[in-house]
Amino acid sequence: MGKYLAQSKDIIWRRIGDDIVIIKDGGISTHVLNKTASLIWEMCDGNTDIGKITSNICKRFEVSYEEAYADVNATVNILTNANILK
Amino acid sequence: MQQISLNQDCVPVENTLHIQLGDVTCALKCSDSDVYERLQKVYCEYETEQSPDITVELEAANRLPLEKLEPAVFKMKYIPINGKGFKTSNRLMSGHYDPARRLIKLKGERPLLNPDLKINHLNRLLVLTYYTACKHKYDNTPPAMFVHTCGILRNGMALLFTGPSGAGKTTIARLCSALDGELINDEMLLVSRPDESSNEIIIKSAPMLGEYSPRRNITAPLRCIFLLKQGANCLAHRLDKTEAYIKFIRQVVSPACIGQKDKKSIYSMMADFSVQVTGSIPMYELEFSLDVKSLWKTITDTEKLLGIKENREWANI
Repeated sequence: MGKYLAQSKDIIWRRIGDDIVIIKDGGISTHVLNKTASLIWEMCDGNTDIGKITSNICKRFEVSYEEAYADVNATVNILTNANILK
Repeated sequence: MQQISLNQDCVPVENTLHIQLGDVTCALKCSDSDVYERLQKVYCEYETEQSPDITVELEAANRLPLEKLEPAVFKMKYIPINGKGFKTSNRLMSGHYDPARRLIKLKGERPLLNPDLKINHLNRLLVLTYYTACKHKYDNTPPAMFVHTCGILRNGMALLFTGPSGAGKTTIARLCSALDGELINDEMLLVSRPDESSNEIIIKSAPMLGEYSPRRNITAPLRCIFLLKQGANCLAHRLDKTEAYIKFIRQVVSPACIGQKDKKSIYSMMADFSVQVTGSIPMYELEFSLDVKSLWKTITDTEKLLGIKENREWANI
């Protein structure tokens, strides 16, 4: 649970309403994060580990820790595989 | 013998043209009288008496014949140098900026500076000049940014038709009179940031060369933006803000100033601008065919939804 996550430096992101839009490689790839993924993204500041992110999600939504952890982990894996989280 | 006065850079003083690029005034100097005369003709609507924010000195070279130049131009890439200049990958053009004098010295093959030839790079050079001037005049926050778009004036307001190459901007320009509108420009326009109190966005024409570029210098408030998509029917559907942002940012011309290498800050400026514009103005995806009557009706219906009072009847078409 000690995995610290940070946003990649070579991306541009902006919040548009509930969504976050991430543009990478000068616009070659674009990623749209929904409301929950956007909250997870904003917590990836390099100082917050996945356990803390999960706890914050649990406080925000009425879900069990295990369920939240599974969702956070899945989201983080997708973003890491896309090279927008490190 | 005719006496001519020369400025300290040895360009005849009469070969200097002051033109308006949005809120920036640029002095164009050209020692090549033939090129200068052509530039004066195409830019005459944008001539101004105002003193320049920036000066561009054009030096035309004749090193390559046109038949060798044309294929080379398509592969040409601009390479920033040292933060104060640029060269192109095939050395057909180079530029050097003196920030103390606000002077850009450009040297390029003559056809690249000739507005009568399709391979000219004048639009690119004017964009570079505009953003270089804005860096100083507006502390690197230009009040308006260039967007690849066709603009039409209807009912006193501007409608923008934007999209990637081949989407139909030139077609819309060609159909302009049938759409009961006046063409502002079919290539590029300056789009202001929204006004802080009214949220209004202003469109300004600039001396950008396109297929049908009229010469009139027009300023108008923006009504809405259509993102073009060719199809079998004429349909407009409103884009949500996320879709609008993603599609619009791709039409914003890079706001790089001369010698600028920092791509992240360039994209960041484009992102902020796109958030502002798409947050203030409705944007529609417009699927259209060449059925002018349907296209006109679709645009008019959209305007009606936006509350524009239609004061002309469609007749006899």
